Amino acid sequence: MTVIWARIKRWLNRDAEWREEIEGHLAMRQEWHQARGASAEESRMLARRQFGSLIGTAEKVRAVHVRAWLETTLQDLRYALRGLRRSPGFTAVACLTLAVGVGASTAVYSVVDPLLFRRLPYPNDNQLVSLGYFGPIDTNEFNVVSSYLDWRAHQRPFQAMTSMRPAEHCDLLAGEAPLRLDCYRVEASFLGTFGVKPLRGRDFTEDDDRPGAPAVALLSFGLWQRAFGGGEGVLGQVVTVDDQPTRVVGVLPKGFEMPQLGDADLLMPERLNPGLPRAQNSSSFLRTFARLRDGVSIEQARAQMRSVFDEVAQLDVPPQLRSEVYLVVRSLRDRRIHDVKLASWMLLGAVLALLLLACANVANILLARAFARRREIAMRAAIGASRGRLVRQTLTESLILGLGGCLLGCAFSWALIRPLAYLAPEGLFHLEQARINGRCLLFAFAVSVCAALLFGMMPALEWPRPDALIGWNATGRTRQLSRKILAAAQISISLVLLTAASLFLRSLRNLETQPLGFESEHLVIASLAPSTRHYPSAAARISFFNELEARLSRIPGAGQFALADSLPPLGAARSRPYSNLRVQGHPPVAPHGGMVLFRWVTPGYFDTMRIPILAGRAFREDERTSGESPLILGASLAHRLFGDGNAVGQYIDLEASGHWWPIVGVAADVKNDGLAQAPSLEYYRLRMKTSAPPDANSFAIYRTSLGAAALGEWVREQIRTLDPALPVTIQTMDQRVDRLREQPRFIALLVTLFGVLGLFLAAVGIYGVLSFMIMQQTREIGVRMAIGARPRDIALDVQKQAGVWTIAGIGAGVAASLALAGTMRGLLFEVSPYDPRALSLAAVVLAVSAGLATFIPCRRATRVDPLRALRHE
Amino acid sequence: MGNGDNLQGALDLLILKTLQKGAHHGFGITLHVQETSQGLLRMEEGSLYPALHRLERDGLIQGEWRVTPNSRRARFYKLTALGKRGLVQAESNWQSVALGIQRVLRST
Repeated sequence: MTVIWARIKRWLNRDAEWREEIEGHLAMRQEWHQARGASAEESRMLARRQFGSLIGTAEKVRAVHVRAWLETTLQDLRYALRGLRRSPGFTAVACLTLAVGVGASTAVYSVVDPLLFRRLPYPNDNQLVSLGYFGPIDTNEFNVVSSYLDWRAHQRPFQAMTSMRPAEHCDLLAGEAPLRLDCYRVEASFLGTFGVKPLRGRDFTEDDDRPGAPAVALLSFGLWQRAFGGGEGVLGQVVTVDDQPTRVVGVLPKGFEMPQLGDADLLMPERLNPGLPRAQNSSSFLRTFARLRDGVSIEQARAQMRSVFDEVAQLDVPPQLRSEVYLVVRSLRDRRIHDVKLASWMLLGAVLALLLLACANVANILLARAFARRREIAMRAAIGASRGRLVRQTLTESLILGLGGCLLGCAFSWALIRPLAYLAPEGLFHLEQARINGRCLLFAFAVSVCAALLFGMMPALEWPRPDALIGWNATGRTRQLSRKILAAAQISISLVLLTAASLFLRSLRNLETQPLGFESEHLVIASLAPSTRHYPSAAARISFFNELEARLSRIPGAGQFALADSLPPLGAARSRPYSNLRVQGHPPVAPHGGMVLFRWVTPGYFDTMRIPILAGRAFREDERTSGESPLILGASLAHRLFGDGNAVGQYIDLEASGHWWPIVGVAADVKNDGLAQAPSLEYYRLRMKTSAPPDANSFAIYRTSLGAAALGEWVREQIRTLDPALPVTIQTMDQRVDRLREQPRFIALLVTLFGVLGLFLAAVGIYGVLSFMIMQQTREIGVRMAIGARPRDIALDVQKQAGVWTIAGIGAGVAASLALAGTMRGLLFEVSPYDPRALSLAAVVLAVSAGLATFIPCRRATRVDPLRALRHE
Repeated sequence: MGNGDNLQGALDLLILKTLQKGAHHGFGITLHVQETSQGLLRMEEGSLYPALHRLERDGLIQGEWRVTPNSRRARFYKLTALGKRGLVQAESNWQSVALGIQRVLRST
């Protein structure tokens, strides 16, 4: 290595070197003249004159080197191409092996590049941060209006701070059918903070953002094209958004991304109202972002925000929750890839391991080829080719192979990206945006060149011995050893991949068999979100929902039916702090309880979902028309509040308000927060006929033998007669649940694919090494058989040799798996990353494959004909 | 080796021959040639260095930084095994070229 480095340095210093050489010459000549009596000045002049043109000489010297370089390079290229053309089988196998590695890596890189490495689509993106409260309420940081207004007023580290409301749906009336859109309400400073300018029209102004200002909106480029045909006339046009006349003031640039990666069709001013009472503003949620001042780091910003945060938290965060809520300031990139960062790195690591395996295989093939050509190379060395020249030639050959692999690999990755995008969960990894672009091609190129240098180095460093010319026993020990080490390395890398694959598969199986707490089969869900603007008064809403329920429950053959305002296993259920609960006749509950979910359901809910009632009873229809809404507790909450005592018949206060509600039953726990989380605390309230649910979302749940499509038609029909402008989405419960398993399934699928490919490559590698060894030892085996060795002894011997390095490889692989295991913890569900079963399964699969790979070479060894083997010389 | 170019061949030959006696730096080579030819031959210094680098590139000589007796850093060149063989060949080439020229000159 030091030799190579010294060479590189010399290459870089060459100009300076010969300049020093010539200056030395001039100085010596000057001394020479001086010694003969000339003055210093005279001698200098004479020396210069005698030398002739300095620049001309410099050019000539440089030309010597450049031409030499060009000539040798061309020569190497011709030589390598000739060699490769002569053995097309070898060339094809090496290129294809490499193409698999490069192709898979490039495809995965194209997926993770926008997440991990690409710049965000905003100017000076590294100044952008997401900040807010982090607490048990949400998986991302959030803010509330009153806190945000105070933070904004008192902050120092940011040039600008801005906010937006969480995503909501809105209905745009264009033509007959209402369009359901993804809408965001944002502050006037929103686009400016991110450095984005509208493509057409103007940004929101402070005046647009005042409470009560005339409604205005910005369209996304996509919506502009889709609904307005991309016409210029859209500016100033008044459209109806959620029944409100709204003027279009601008169009967002193409490719505009919301900071948290949501899809936005329409932006509207947020209109925060500092004039509202603090209590109201402190329960109104926001997402907040900011742009750091020049030279301020995220850590500094966090430190500077600390005092403001602490002060404001005193006002806005209930005392019971204060110890559970803290300040988050993190880069926008971290906020965006929050969910997939670990998975992205893991996939990239896995695919690079696969590439390494492919490289090892190509190196193996190259070594075998170098062996086959050892006489030619030894001959060239003998007639004076320097070692450097031979290394260069070998490297040129591997670089050509690398480029071939790169081209094929790019084609392969391009073919791979479509099925990948198809298999990937919607939205996850944003695969629809994954493209084989210039960056990916650059990556493929860099990876191929590195790979070529890596596998080219192995044979290049093998110096042919003069005895190769003689032919008898022409192998160096080192070459044997390096091939064995290569095989062992392949086994260990492959083992790591297989272990990861088996861990992910087990984790996926755990997820798929994870009890949900309800039966998801045969459930069809219709989700409705009636606009509250249509039904402004409570009375209007009550009659609407009662009518809705009556119509939906009347559908013939629909089976069991229930209405709820949210659904497990994932959906925005309402929640309130646990610490607000009070049990009648008991001291206040301990703080730090996190949040308690609750949902409003009709009496049929438990039957329809098949959620067992563990104690007490379900809700009754006759309770809905009068009196208080009773409570049913989830088992976890009942246990938390009452231990093993009986909850039924007790009274609890839900919001420290002094009002007591009766508990009539306890229901079994269900998964509410995705599949992987522990059961959450939860209670149910009866949906009364005398009061309307406070806001819009409703889910109609059917347990039915009808298909989703058939039932969906009925439901749509019923709803159309009630409110033609009300959009409906029909889904089966299985579809909803399945979405939660998509990410783990995708990861497990990919890693398993890499694992299987890796196993195949490793098996081919072992096979190659063994066949090669036996080819080399043919004479030795022949001799042994001639003096009486049985085929069994020979086979045993070969297997022993293979066994040693297989075991070494497995040992190293187990160690590497254990070392890397910790990083996978976050991606696994109910499987320890150190799971002995996964490890031993992977080891057994590998050992069996290694055994199979040795089978053919072994048989070949036992069939060596001693006579022919000996006569061969 | 510049077989086709006899002038260049002469320069190479002079360099190689000089180095046969031991390693030398460029200036030393010019001095040596001038002295041993008793002033008849004078090397063009501007051509000496490209020739040295070319010979080194071709593996006939090898350069190395050393310190001169006057404690000056200079690049010393020495013959390689290839260079020794090359010298033998170049010498015999030159002999035959010189002989050829002599014969031509005498014939008139």
